[in-house]
Amino acid sequence: MFPILLGTLFNLAFSNLNKAESFVKINLGIIDNTEYQKSPLKMTIAFVSTENNEQNGMFRVTLTDVAGADELLKNNKIDGYILMNKGATLVVKQNGLNQSILKSFLDDYNQSSATYASILKSDPTKYQELLLNSANRLDFLKASSSTNANPDTTLNYFYSLIAMACLYGGFMGMNEILSIQADMSSQAARLNLAPVHKMRVLVYDLLAAVAVHYSTILIVLAYVSFVLKVNFGDKIFFIMLLSLLGSMTGLAFGAFVGAALKKSEGVKIGILTGVTMSLSFFAGMMYVDIKYMIAKAAPIMAYINPANVITDGFYSLYYYDTYSRFFVNAGILCVFIFVLCFLTYMILRRRRYASI
Amino acid sequence: MIIQVKDLVKKYGDLVALDHFNLSVNEGEVFGLLGPNGSGKTTAINCILALLTIDNGTVEIFDKPMSPDAYDIKRDIGIVMQNVAVFNELTVFENINYFCGLYITDKKLRATLVDEAIEFVGLNEFRKFYPKKLSGGLLRRLNIACGIAHKPKLIILDEPTVAVDPQSRNNILEGIMRLNELGATIIYTSHYMEEVEQICSRIMIMDKGKSVALGTKEELRALAGLGEAASLNDVFLELTGTELRDQ
Repeated sequence: MFPILLGTLFNLAFSNLNKAESFVKINLGIIDNTEYQKSPLKMTIAFVSTENNEQNGMFRVTLTDVAGADELLKNNKIDGYILMNKGATLVVKQNGLNQSILKSFLDDYNQSSATYASILKSDPTKYQELLLNSANRLDFLKASSSTNANPDTTLNYFYSLIAMACLYGGFMGMNEILSIQADMSSQAARLNLAPVHKMRVLVYDLLAAVAVHYSTILIVLAYVSFVLKVNFGDKIFFIMLLSLLGSMTGLAFGAFVGAALKKSEGVKIGILTGVTMSLSFFAGMMYVDIKYMIAKAAPIMAYINPANVITDGFYSLYYYDTYSRFFVNAGILCVFIFVLCFLTYMILRRRRYASI
Repeated sequence: MIIQVKDLVKKYGDLVALDHFNLSVNEGEVFGLLGPNGSGKTTAINCILALLTIDNGTVEIFDKPMSPDAYDIKRDIGIVMQNVAVFNELTVFENINYFCGLYITDKKLRATLVDEAIEFVGLNEFRKFYPKKLSGGLLRRLNIACGIAHKPKLIILDEPTVAVDPQSRNNILEGIMRLNELGATIIYTSHYMEEVEQICSRIMIMDKGKSVALGTKEELRALAGLGEAASLNDVFLELTGTELRDQ
């Protein structure tokens, strides 16, 4: 229930985030002087301003004089202004995204105009060819998603939520181990006295737990996909495979904690809860940038965090066309499962207890 | 000799729970293990069954060294624990079937054995009941059925009649005697002297982790210096004292 509830809260919190990320026009001032009226910049500005193209225009232009521009800049009515005085100069008050865009635009204009001037000076017949090139230039670069998927930072929250739900299987795994530890219950003591190989008991118990827990993961996935309309992509088989591996990883992790820690049941549950939430946090469940900070500062930590590996697996299925990254993540999860199950068995086999 | 325990030592920190404890149980006998609270009866049982780590000594069952993975030995042992060890989520039938299934893999044979166990403890009318619906006496009978359904050669009962009414207790004791008549060796621990007196052929009295006395009822009376009219309770108090014990 908790992952479903948290996913619903995520959806409520993030539903308008994508709309809010739509581009906001930049307010640009232009000093209206003779040099500007004669320069090619005027035509360029007209092309990118909202005056002629309200929907796609980048800049909302205000023609003014220097004093007026300074006043507008001071009052934050414009993000910067351009002064034509033996070349184009950008005047801004502070650093920011809009100011960076203005600077890039002007740098590009200055570089291109210098290039074209140089070409025309050496060979004036290139005029028409230059015109065609500059017109076609916009077609050279075209944003294209490999899977027709749009980058969406909010997806990471939902993916890490599913990862957390997978790791919650650890409680079930721990429970299976407690049910076969003679010092934890009388039923387990009776089980320890039976002629049944510990490995067999462990495997059968964990398989049953996988079946139950995986069913709950599928329910959470279905809810997040169909009710909350979160996009996981269309690679259904691999999504289900990744969920299964995630569920098994969670169970194996809980089983290991249950077997390795010689503490009371309450302490084990507390430790498992703390570790699961920490791993989910570092996978970006509460603050998405943490994931990228860790990947940059300590990449190995990203690979040994099962929550992050699961989250990354979902993201790679959504965003990438190839499966190489997915198979790396799946492989890491398989290693986790094997190592944790093996360590659990080694701890449990031939175990005697100091007290019962 | 079914069980041979030599020089067993078990410590819980500074507390010596078993102090060079020795035990021999012959095949076919009903062996009683008596002792005050904290004398080490249950610890001895758990060490013999390789559930607990031991600090010194050896344990052999069926002339083989006992260990946690001695599955061939475990196959012929039945345990009735002091605490009721059944699953509340399963019915009477399902509980007995589950625990019997740990020993008997043949489904047909297991079905027969489970029916016989239910009949043996008198739980026929309660096959579909869950443990929570059973009285204390019926729960104890279920506990016994789970431990003996697979017809083991050695049965260890650790205080099986705690909190049970006299009628149910009598029924349980008669059942234990029937098991012995069918060939099982029984180790029986209890606080109830009259039970031990009734069913046990040989009795060991333990105190502070050691064997204080061992023998038949008559031998114990003689050891305590008491006459034939003395009860086992009198013998016990004479040999262990009347001082109150902490668990």
